[in-house]
Amino acid sequence: MKRPLGTIAGARSGDKGGDANLGVWVRSDEAYEWLNGFLTVEKLKELLPEAQDVSRYELPNLRALNFVLHGLLGDGVASSTRFDPQAKALGEWLRGRVVEIPEELL
Amino acid sequence: MIRIGNASGFYGDRLSAMREQLEGGHLDVLTGDYLAELTMLILGRDRMKDSSLGYAKTFLRQMEDCLALALDQGVKIVVNAGGLNPEGLARKLGAKVGYVTGDDLKARFPEALTANAYLGAWEIADCLNQGVQVVVTGRVTDASLVVGPAAAHFGWARDDWDRLAGATVAGHVLECGTQATGGNYSFFTEIDVTRPGFPIAEVDEDGSCLITKHDGTGGAVTVDTVTAQLLYEIGAPEYLGPDVTTHFDTIRLDAHERGVRISGVKGSPPPDTLKVCLNTLGGFRNSTTFVLTGLDVEAKADLVRRQLHGAIGEEGLTWTLARTDRADAGTEEQASALLHVTIKTADPKRAKGFSRAAIELALASYPGFHVTAPPGDGTPFGVYRAAYVNRDEVSAKAVLL
Repeated sequence: MKRPLGTIAGARSGDKGGDANLGVWVRSDEAYEWLNGFLTVEKLKELLPEAQDVSRYELPNLRALNFVLHGLLGDGVASSTRFDPQAKALGEWLRGRVVEIPEELL
Repeated sequence: MIRIGNASGFYGDRLSAMREQLEGGHLDVLTGDYLAELTMLILGRDRMKDSSLGYAKTFLRQMEDCLALALDQGVKIVVNAGGLNPEGLARKLGAKVGYVTGDDLKARFPEALTANAYLGAWEIADCLNQGVQVVVTGRVTDASLVVGPAAAHFGWARDDWDRLAGATVAGHVLECGTQATGGNYSFFTEIDVTRPGFPIAEVDEDGSCLITKHDGTGGAVTVDTVTAQLLYEIGAPEYLGPDVTTHFDTIRLDAHERGVRISGVKGSPPPDTLKVCLNTLGGFRNSTTFVLTGLDVEAKADLVRRQLHGAIGEEGLTWTLARTDRADAGTEEQASALLHVTIKTADPKRAKGFSRAAIELALASYPGFHVTAPPGDGTPFGVYRAAYVNRDEVSAKAVLL
């Protein structure tokens, strides 16, 4: 069913120099299995078109994926002209995107 | 077990947190993180104006209020509030103080406004082992503020990788204060986060811990709030630090009646190099936001662009048109789009001239011209970058006053 990703996923994002990180987690093993298959680098770029050079890491023990969006913030928070120069709300942007979520996870 | 609290997640955090943590229940150590990458730049500019500054001034105010209380309760204070001048801060405190120095690498990076290696936990542990009541550091990793006291308390060895890794995770959870207890939390509607309490880690001898908070404080410590903070500002699962490499894919979280237990964390030797936080002055910046209301939004934006380019030139200007407007809107605000423009330039006069050029458009531009806030004189901005140096190029040391 079409629902915002944040219906079942939490997220937290922030800055490290010119890179942003975006952690996404879910709250059951079934949901993690789905998330891990669904949220590829390609899918993330589709949902957040600003993302260019992305690394993706799996943390099954936390039912989480961590993405590093390289270069999103230019030369860092003090220099960046990006709206939200510390990428604090990047995760909430992602949670607001509407995606196809299996009904049994809702 | 050692009970370590946190009372600050950044320079500017809740001033009363120190007192709340001291009065709320028992602690052995109270820590505070005051240093972000950006904070080093802010302190660097303070130091340029007055070489006796360069530390987090709010910590001094907290100590004026709370030092006697902490000493009375036997609570040790461990903070990185020393910033660029730990000795200067340490000498202002009326207690048995130790400070950690050696992180400043400005001599090695003369072009930088600030250059500081991320030091680790062992100099903090040295200070505590020698009986100080307060430890003030400059740039240490945030987690070291927890690892140092735990290592000193239990007498850990430098190759107790799993123990050090476990305490590093505890430190990572605590370092952003209320971000571990429901602050900035995706599922905030499920708990009461009106005034979240500050977090506490009860660290055991094996490096495992219980994350909790004082009874009666707001917010919550759940597997989800702790997970959220574990995911903050991390990269690969191998989390590199000066004392240990912590494997985030080995962390185990379990719900507990008083919070969340963290166990199972594996550690391995740290890299041979230390990370250095470098801030250089990048130039000057200034910005404003034009409000474009109603019809012809794109054409209005185009007119402002042409006018401002004509007045001060295109170089260094970044424009963003946010189409927050909607057609046939029921409120003026909903009818309005925002056109942001920022100038970055090496020339302070040009950054200042930007304001004049923008305001001179007030009666000569698009219909409905106004700005959200008038531009100021322009401010210097910093450029951050990380560098890496060999460990033997850095001589960290603990100094007792």
